[in-house]
Amino acid sequence: MAARRFKDTDVIDFAIVGSGAAGGVLARELSQAGFEVVVLEQGPRLSPADFKHDELDYWFANGLINNPVRNPQTFRTTPAQKAIRVVDYPSLMYARIVGGSSNHFTANFWRFHEIDFHERSVLGEISGTGFADWPITYAELEPYYTKVEWEVGVSGLAGASPFDPPRTKPYPMPPLPVKSSGVLLERGARKLGLHPFPAPMAIASVPFRGRPACVHCGFCIGFGCEVMAKSSSLVTMIPEAEATGRCEIRPESYVFEVRTDKKGRATGVAYFDRNKHEHFQKAKAVVLAANGAETPRLLLNSASSHFPKGLANSSGLVGKYLMFNSGGDVGAVFEHELNEYKSVQVTRLVHDFYDTDPKRGFYGGGGIDGRLGPAPASWALAAVPPKPSWGAGFKAVLRDFPRSMIAETHTTSLAQEANSVSIDPELKDAWGIPAMRCTYQDHPDDLATARFLQARAKEILDAAGAKQSWILPTVDNSVSVHLLGTCRMGNDPHTSVIDKYHRTHDVPNLFLCDGSSFVTSGRGQPTMTIQALAFRAAHYIGEFARRNEI
Amino acid sequence: MSLTRRSFTSALGAGWLALNGAAIAAAAHEARAKAAEANGAQAEAATKGAHTGAAMRVLTRSQARDVDAIASQIIPTDRDPGAHEAGAVYFIDHALAGFFSAHREDFQTGYADFASRVGQESKVPFADLPHDEQIRILHTVEETPFFLIVRYLTILGFLADPRYGGNRDGIGWRLVGFEDTHVFEPPFGYYDKDYAGFEPYAKAPAADPK
Repeated sequence: MAARRFKDTDVIDFAIVGSGAAGGVLARELSQAGFEVVVLEQGPRLSPADFKHDELDYWFANGLINNPVRNPQTFRTTPAQKAIRVVDYPSLMYARIVGGSSNHFTANFWRFHEIDFHERSVLGEISGTGFADWPITYAELEPYYTKVEWEVGVSGLAGASPFDPPRTKPYPMPPLPVKSSGVLLERGARKLGLHPFPAPMAIASVPFRGRPACVHCGFCIGFGCEVMAKSSSLVTMIPEAEATGRCEIRPESYVFEVRTDKKGRATGVAYFDRNKHEHFQKAKAVVLAANGAETPRLLLNSASSHFPKGLANSSGLVGKYLMFNSGGDVGAVFEHELNEYKSVQVTRLVHDFYDTDPKRGFYGGGGIDGRLGPAPASWALAAVPPKPSWGAGFKAVLRDFPRSMIAETHTTSLAQEANSVSIDPELKDAWGIPAMRCTYQDHPDDLATARFLQARAKEILDAAGAKQSWILPTVDNSVSVHLLGTCRMGNDPHTSVIDKYHRTHDVPNLFLCDGSSFVTSGRGQPTMTIQALAFRAAHYIGEFARRNEI
Repeated sequence: MSLTRRSFTSALGAGWLALNGAAIAAAAHEARAKAAEANGAQAEAATKGAHTGAAMRVLTRSQARDVDAIASQIIPTDRDPGAHEAGAVYFIDHALAGFFSAHREDFQTGYADFASRVGQESKVPFADLPHDEQIRILHTVEETPFFLIVRYLTILGFLADPRYGGNRDGIGWRLVGFEDTHVFEPPFGYYDKDYAGFEPYAKAPAADPK
């Protein structure tokens, strides 16, 4: 069936803002359930064939992402400072194209563990933070994790990790072929008595639902997949949504305001088209899936006399509790060639340090994986030993590229109220809309956890026989693609923005579903959980609509 | 998050952080942002359209000679070609006209300081100094923002796609052993060649605390 086109004046069932990991799932689920849906995406629609193996464009010239020239941001570490405009990279980074960051992600797709949802109850309060339990459990989310694996497409080996939470089905595809980095990580970790396992990846290891298997080109992280093996929304959920004949994907449609009526109900969304002409799409209900930075910004920019602090912000928490995930890297050189520039980033993973261990003296835990990092220039700039940084010695380091790998750690971020997405008081974007301001400073426990995991990662690489290994500096995070926690879910309207069904506490026909919904950060790799939440949210939102409870 | 998005800034070093850190004068920063905006369209065009051998757009002839000489010390020529043969200076010029134009003023100010420092010690430009003398001088400036900018762009000019003016004939990729090929098959490297397969664990360790 041809993709449907709606008019702005059509009162559609759902206007969904954002076409990424969450927006794609919501669009597919709600349109398949019989509802009329328009997805408004600020970025253009590229086809997989448009994606390039161009490190300079995608990694250095911000080719796929929210370019800070056009979509400016400011950054500061504490609320006492005046935020300054970022120039080279946005602090809050996302792919600004149809399919969103599911196009350029690395595709690490582990599930959160049971502990992630009720860690506050287990560990108790952490003073000065917003550390809290989720209002849902892992068991409630499990069926939707399974849906992600089977309907979006995840490769992995069920039962391989002794730390994995319970699951109802195996993975639909076997793990991707192991790389040398995976073999070495596994070798070192097993020697130390740890339990490495094949990494779950949202990349097709075999032909899957009409898509081909990975050809191991190596351009995953920060790149789009031109063979459609990476399970992005662009090639999974969105075509299936359009095939219903009830869903329109509207690219280059930049929503800047959710409007409400006198009763405080959402009436639709105001947006600019590609020519900067203003439109208003009417809708019975609005779902924001614009990511953990743009969703709170849109709510704050939608302030009105009825909602003076911003839409759905009676709690004052819209934009607050921003979490990035911390982590760090360890580089290593081995005797023989690994050729890590080939194939997917990650094939083996260690979860032995996932849980918080109070004996360490700080909160937090995480995972360790083996990989290269990105393409050659980025590697040479960021993954090699800090010295020598030039000259004959540096050139010798460059020659080690085929024998090099890194172990990367993925760790917790504590929810801190001061860490936030807010509206910059002065800066406006290329459309004249107030720009976002990021305030972020890692909690000392976040950095302690990152360093603890780095030390474990170095032990693993040394045990694997590295000729040389080095801990790369752990710096305060000021840039992230993990945009989490800024409209947290909860049962109490005073301490959360949305309820456990993703409905805002304040506006009955306004729902939020993306990284902003998170209560804790997990241990990195949030997209799997974002999509599980989106499947679950779509189920309940559809039920509410059917029962006329929106 | 993953290596490098966050590490680029730190890869540029302490001088860069000082340059871009919170302490920077707001006015200077605003000027840079405005320059970035003004150059936005040009930047896009340049990153898309740069090609090898074009005339210099930003660098003067003497600047180009000095930058080429610095780049040649950062990735020297030995038994293999280095930054000079890769045409890194052309890449750097295109970058300053294009995606890196927001930092053109930093570059120009830094170059002026660098040239004047060289001028205090020598009657000839940096490019004409003896090899050992060049190395000695570069050691004295290796933490300056100017050197860090040139280093950053030299590495990019050595390893970025050849269509941006550097990495001529894939010289940089050849040195590091990167194959610009679209499809690979396992085994990918030495260590995965004889991998025996994943051995399941006999017994689960302690589960998550509940």
